[in-house]
Amino acid sequence: MSDSHAATLDARARLVDALVRTGEEDRSAFRDLYALTSAKLFGICYRICGERQAAEDVLHDVYVTIWKRAGAYEPHRASPITWLATIARNRAIDWRRAQGVRRTTPIEDAPPIPDDAPLVSETMLADEAAHRLHACLQGLEARQRDAIRIAFFDGVTYAELAERQEVPLGTMKSWVRRGLARLRECLER
Amino acid sequence: MPGAMSDDQTPGEAPDMAAAELALGLLDGEERAQALRRVLAEHGFAQEVERWRRHLAQLFDLWPAITPPPGVLERVEWTIDGPAAMQVETRAGRRWFWPVAAALSSVAAAALLLVIVLHPFDHGAPPQARPTAPAAAPETILVASIDPVEKGLPVTAVYDPAAATLRLTAAPLGDAKRSAELWVIAGDGVPHSLGLLHDAGVTALTVAPANRARLAAGATLAVSLEPVGGSPTGLPTGPVVAKGALSRV
Repeated sequence: MSDSHAATLDARARLVDALVRTGEEDRSAFRDLYALTSAKLFGICYRICGERQAAEDVLHDVYVTIWKRAGAYEPHRASPITWLATIARNRAIDWRRAQGVRRTTPIEDAPPIPDDAPLVSETMLADEAAHRLHACLQGLEARQRDAIRIAFFDGVTYAELAERQEVPLGTMKSWVRRGLARLRECLER
Repeated sequence: MPGAMSDDQTPGEAPDMAAAELALGLLDGEERAQALRRVLAEHGFAQEVERWRRHLAQLFDLWPAITPPPGVLERVEWTIDGPAAMQVETRAGRRWFWPVAAALSSVAAAALLLVIVLHPFDHGAPPQARPTAPAAAPETILVASIDPVEKGLPVTAVYDPAAATLRLTAAPLGDAKRSAELWVIAGDGVPHSLGLLHDAGVTALTVAPANRARLAAGATLAVSLEPVGGSPTGLPTGPVVAKGALSRV
């Protein structure tokens, strides 16, 4: 257990190092960074874009963006994987909304998102918020939890979410807002 | 949660969760615009959005990884290094048509000359029953005028698919410190090395099997300046000094 925790800390340190050196325009560090993170970021692009070719194009843009912006990464403010994954998610959402693609059904062949929280020893981002979110989500009503998870993982708006879950828009907003309010209460406890 | 109170039956009384909604990406249209204005106007609101982002980032841990297809990193690096060179074929392809067409008369003349030199009467069979089917197309000789980016004379390239040979006229593009390396950029947008060019005299290259299909009408040929002996990375590392598109004679 402590061995694997040490290994995780080590992996995180390598990632911080690769990202910081990428910010110094170190090309070999950038290649390391790609090797360490591209599968995670492609998973994000694929799920949100919903098709392989688009996901590949968005992944390309994501790494070009990372190369340009890595100099602005501040290790004390965010874990590297959060910083990178956020760029990927935002880019993929931008792409889909620019295409005007409405997604009222989940994509078929994406691997399912696991329900369980990962072990603290295995997480790449144990620095922030001390892992509370998973436990707090488990405390919500199923329909609130599902809506919040779908919004995050599929990058959908309220309108798409309501259509997908087959409930009126106002009802969906109400579920989500109450769910988020409970979540905040739990997180601040 | 089975025992949870059902407290969400009255839509009108839902709490204001705009910061979380913005962080999740749920909002669009006017609602999103309004939330973005609040980020700018209210410091507390901006901090709350940031707090939500940090909380929600925990979920990235659950996101299943999928290995991307090969070649993406190469394309990323190519974009970083030489966006202009990569887009010749795709985006600017049409704009290049007229200059290339104008150059073609001289290219065609040079090509004809080379074809004659390369194939001195080796077709013994009489030209009866000449096939007109498009199946004959892959065997068509292709030519390109590889024009220097700055100034100088174009390098003429002639590709003979039947023999998998590529012949180029003298290419005084390299010098004592740098080699001129020839690349083909086809449908995948990635440059593939075809070999080094001689400064003086004709260069004759035998095209590797993997590159043969890439040499088709519309593909770009580009020359970059590399360390002596060619690029150490397998991709162009130096400036592109000449380029042109392959076309049928």
